[in-house]
Amino acid sequence: MPLLWVLRDSLNLTGTKFGCGVAACGACTVHKDGQPVRSCVTPVASVAGANIQTIESLGTPEKPHPLQLAWIAEQVPQCGYCQSGMLMAAAALLKRKPKPTDADIDEAMSNLCRCGTYQRVRAAIHRAAGAQT
Amino acid sequence: MKRRNLILSGLGITGALIVGWGVMPARSRMGKPDNMLRTEGEIALNGWLKIAKDGGVVLAMNRSDMGQGIHNALSMLAAEELDVPLERVRLEQSGHDAIYGNVAMFVGTLPFHPMNSEGVEKPFAVKSGEWIVGKIARELGVNATGGSSSVKDAWEHLRLAAATAKASLCMAAADQWTVPLQEIKVKDGVISHASGKSAHFGELAKGAASQTPKNVSLKDRKDWTLIGLPAARADVPAKTDGTAVFGMDVRLPNMLFASVVQVPQIGGTLTSFDAKEALALPGVVKCVQLVSAAGSAPGFAVVAQSTWHAKQAADKVKAQWAQRSEGALDTKRIESELKEKLKTEKGFTFYEQGDVAKAESSATRMIEAQYKAPYLAHATMEPMNCTAQFKGGLLKIWVPTQVPGLARATAAKIANVSVDKVKVNVTLLGGGFGRRLETDVVAQATQIAMAIDGAPVQLVWSREEDMAHDFYRPMHVAQLSAALNAKGEVESLRIKSAGDAIAPRWMSRVLPALSGPFDTPDKTTAEGLFDLPYGFSNQHMSHVSTRMGVPIGFWRSVGHSHNAFFSESFIDELAFESKQDPLAFRLSLLKQAPRYAAVLKLAAEKAKWGTALPAGHAHGLALHESFGSIVAQVAEVSVQAGMPRVHRLVCAIDCGTVVNPGTVAQQVESSVNFALSAALFGKIDIQEGVVQQTNFTNYPLVYMAQSPAVETWILPSTQSPEGVGEPAVPPLAPAVANAMFKLTGQRIRSLPLKA
Repeated sequence: MPLLWVLRDSLNLTGTKFGCGVAACGACTVHKDGQPVRSCVTPVASVAGANIQTIESLGTPEKPHPLQLAWIAEQVPQCGYCQSGMLMAAAALLKRKPKPTDADIDEAMSNLCRCGTYQRVRAAIHRAAGAQT
Repeated sequence: MKRRNLILSGLGITGALIVGWGVMPARSRMGKPDNMLRTEGEIALNGWLKIAKDGGVVLAMNRSDMGQGIHNALSMLAAEELDVPLERVRLEQSGHDAIYGNVAMFVGTLPFHPMNSEGVEKPFAVKSGEWIVGKIARELGVNATGGSSSVKDAWEHLRLAAATAKASLCMAAADQWTVPLQEIKVKDGVISHASGKSAHFGELAKGAASQTPKNVSLKDRKDWTLIGLPAARADVPAKTDGTAVFGMDVRLPNMLFASVVQVPQIGGTLTSFDAKEALALPGVVKCVQLVSAAGSAPGFAVVAQSTWHAKQAADKVKAQWAQRSEGALDTKRIESELKEKLKTEKGFTFYEQGDVAKAESSATRMIEAQYKAPYLAHATMEPMNCTAQFKGGLLKIWVPTQVPGLARATAAKIANVSVDKVKVNVTLLGGGFGRRLETDVVAQATQIAMAIDGAPVQLVWSREEDMAHDFYRPMHVAQLSAALNAKGEVESLRIKSAGDAIAPRWMSRVLPALSGPFDTPDKTTAEGLFDLPYGFSNQHMSHVSTRMGVPIGFWRSVGHSHNAFFSESFIDELAFESKQDPLAFRLSLLKQAPRYAAVLKLAAEKAKWGTALPAGHAHGLALHESFGSIVAQVAEVSVQAGMPRVHRLVCAIDCGTVVNPGTVAQQVESSVNFALSAALFGKIDIQEGVVQQTNFTNYPLVYMAQSPAVETWILPSTQSPEGVGEPAVPPLAPAVANAMFKLTGQRIRSLPLKA
């Protein structure tokens, strides 16, 4: 059983989304030991013992992740459905490259957004990178 | 008999009744306090607003938010007239009374030429047509979020409801404090008097409920503190921490999950199925056969403990399918049939001016071109889904829908219960684009819930089912021809198109009671072709309406989405053939259309039209009106490996009065990317009745690296608000194609674009 459905249907962690089931859209992106993985094609058995982080643990109401603050400042989401995956992919990018260039962002952010929030996602990543010290 | 039913029967009985009824005042949309949910501690002042104990405001939300930000815009309208801070407005899903219906959307289906409505006063025919359709729509009360109409629809009545509520609160304060009403002030949700008395709304709500304000007027626009300024959307925080609830995120005690398999051949049937192996799998509860209803395809659903278990088991069901009796559908054959019909059938004339035949007979030269656009899927990021529970005679539905009332009607019909036994809960929508104007998935979820004993069941379609069972944008073809005189000037423009009509097919699925035996001319077929602003003295536009058998539906910007590609590409062809710059050519034809010219000039100026670009780059432009808004776009394009790459997209828009300029920019960015995916990759092919595209792997969307930098420039306006969710879609494809022509010298007349 893929990790996605364990998260959504067994654990009721519905922040992680189903979009395609074939790792093409990125809506189901979570972190496995800090690395972004597409949970719709990740067998749950393959993550035994691993540290899984979902959108629900990216920040807390008291201490939001800098990306979450940047997302609000740039008014990124429209329908919002793909945004959990976008944020998880962006968080992994910033961990790896705290000051990403546009080319870094293009390369790392292969998530699909049907509302076309891309330029705001880009602006928000730069904003969060600027805010990180 | 309800009033609206009575009116409808009246329509059929006698024209005299209509005339008499037509001059009576239209039904008020103020509503009554009991239209709203009765909640302890909240006092309703009309059908739209309740005041909470703490002075907060509860707004009846009749529109669905699929990303367009309508929850924000309607909250702004209410907060503006109430003089409360925007963050004090809380939303509650509205009921089903006719006041919550969408009048503007139905008025928008009238095929009037927009140039008739330019100028100070609309002509009598337009005004009376809008009046009578508006009146009928008020009686019908069909609640739909679509047609870029929500702000336009709410603009008068919602502000009036808020202003009236505020007036009652002020009257209550004047009574309570025994001071003159005109001395009462309202600011930031606080009512006060110079004597030092002050109270928040909650303290005055009880007294306000018994007031009946008269002659309430709306704020002057110079006094606006919210409308026209960017405002943060209240839905954003929940969309950044995973707490926003879409249809698929509904979780209920003892919930089961269902996966559907529908007949792979469009229009085909399920002849038999064997679920023995599937039912033996762990976690599987039941296999339910699904009959076609509200446009849904026949098939079966497997119910299990998780979506995954259901999907795995559904794949194990052995099913036999049969092609439709009329023969298998095939898009190649449909294309040649459409082209044949274009030649042989007369079609319906949507617009005629001057004498095109005469101009053609005396032409020095004819320019002719044939264009085509393919079927397209909506591909919302959130696949189709619906949760349903049937227990104790009550049917509960949770669904991301653009049409809650029609969803309720569909569910009631299938469950064979009255509509008041159905409760529809509208969740957030993970995209809509017209796909969620359908109730097919509600019909399926209801069938499943009826077969399960009391437990809630969440039906989720796989992406593959979603792609193969859409209501597609129809394939259309068009023949465009222009007569040029000896000086090379365009004397006439003739446009003839062919393709399926969308509105009658949709009506037959979701509003069968209003669907007639014959199709009446449908504006969606001709919009973007019959309604051009250009001052050609001789014009003729006709459409051959077809029924090809592929399920078709409203796709963001509807007919405009492909027709603008046909018309604005052809206008560019004419500019080239008359050896004129595309901008100068258009401006020379817009002398009678100053608003259009202003939009075009602004886009050209901001994009620096006519100045040098990097080597291998070119500008293309397009101008198009839809949903009342005029949009011009200039695309900066290069061609790489035969594919266009859009680097920068400058968009100017005149959408009348703007409520939230931030949302307008979002919608332009959204529309541009949506249209770009279609322009670069979008097509649905059908072979042997089966849709060939299955997922994002073969129905690609643009991603970050392919997305242009989008700039939005809004023209200031004091006219009423017009559409925003769709009008920036249509000009994108022709703007890109026109730039590609400059780069390659090749005119592309078919979508998707390929150099």
